[in-house]
Amino acid sequence: MVTHQHVIDATQEIFETMIMVEAKAGKPLDKPVTSFEKGMTSMVGFAGFRQGMLAIHTPENVALDITTLFLGLEVDKIDEDVIDALGELANMVAGSIKPLIAKDGVDVELSLPSVIHGSEYSMTTLADSETIVVPFSLNAGDFLVELAFKADLR
Amino acid sequence: MGNNVLIVDDSNTMRKIITRSLRQAGLNFDNILEAGDGQAALDVLAKEQVSLVLCDINMPTMDGIEFLKNKGSDEAIKDIPVVMVTTEGGSEDIVHQVHQLGASATIKKPFTADQVNDIISPLI
Repeated sequence: MVTHQHVIDATQEIFETMIMVEAKAGKPLDKPVTSFEKGMTSMVGFAGFRQGMLAIHTPENVALDITTLFLGLEVDKIDEDVIDALGELANMVAGSIKPLIAKDGVDVELSLPSVIHGSEYSMTTLADSETIVVPFSLNAGDFLVELAFKADLR
Repeated sequence: MGNNVLIVDDSNTMRKIITRSLRQAGLNFDNILEAGDGQAALDVLAKEQVSLVLCDINMPTMDGIEFLKNKGSDEAIKDIPVVMVTTEGGSEDIVHQVHQLGASATIKKPFTADQVNDIISPLI
């Protein structure tokens, strides 16, 4: 069973190792956030033995900051580099969590990352899912990591 | 053989991060070549002298597994060492599979420059 702590450990390891900043974890949320303004959401799906998805929700300014730190390049607008960096970030967090949910390590596949962004958008996971949502803080602001699984399979 | 390294990943971000890690690790190559998927990597290997390949697994068009199969069946390039860079490092089956297909080593994301150095130095 995947716990809040697994999500925190996976996310913090990736930030500390690949981005070299500390992502401070906050108190997990009781339910997912579904509406976003001036934000970016990167997602990777789990399919096979267990179905679900890992999403990282960031305000645009936090996405820019993460990309700048990730690539060592100054970025000041949402472009292909930002989309690619946030997609890769979701891919790495999902990849770290995958062994915890896979049966013998082989029956869960990761999708290629998808990224959505815009001035205003909503995102709703299917009603019969179970979710873990953990807020994290960086100097530039906060972001959320959401893990959702089809009910009773977490 | 030229001292060139080929980085194969559909993510431009990861190609940049791997390039940065190679430099941080003090691993010096004459040229760092890039490809966005397995087929593009085979195209590069057909034209360029490459001493090491760093390859993602999960890619569109031709993934890392198919790349290893194709490379392994080509006498001209089958002996070039390949290090698989993957988020799938937690899966022993994936690691076993890529080694069976001829990969020399695997690096699990996230990775440090020291880890990159430890794994790649013996291969070059």
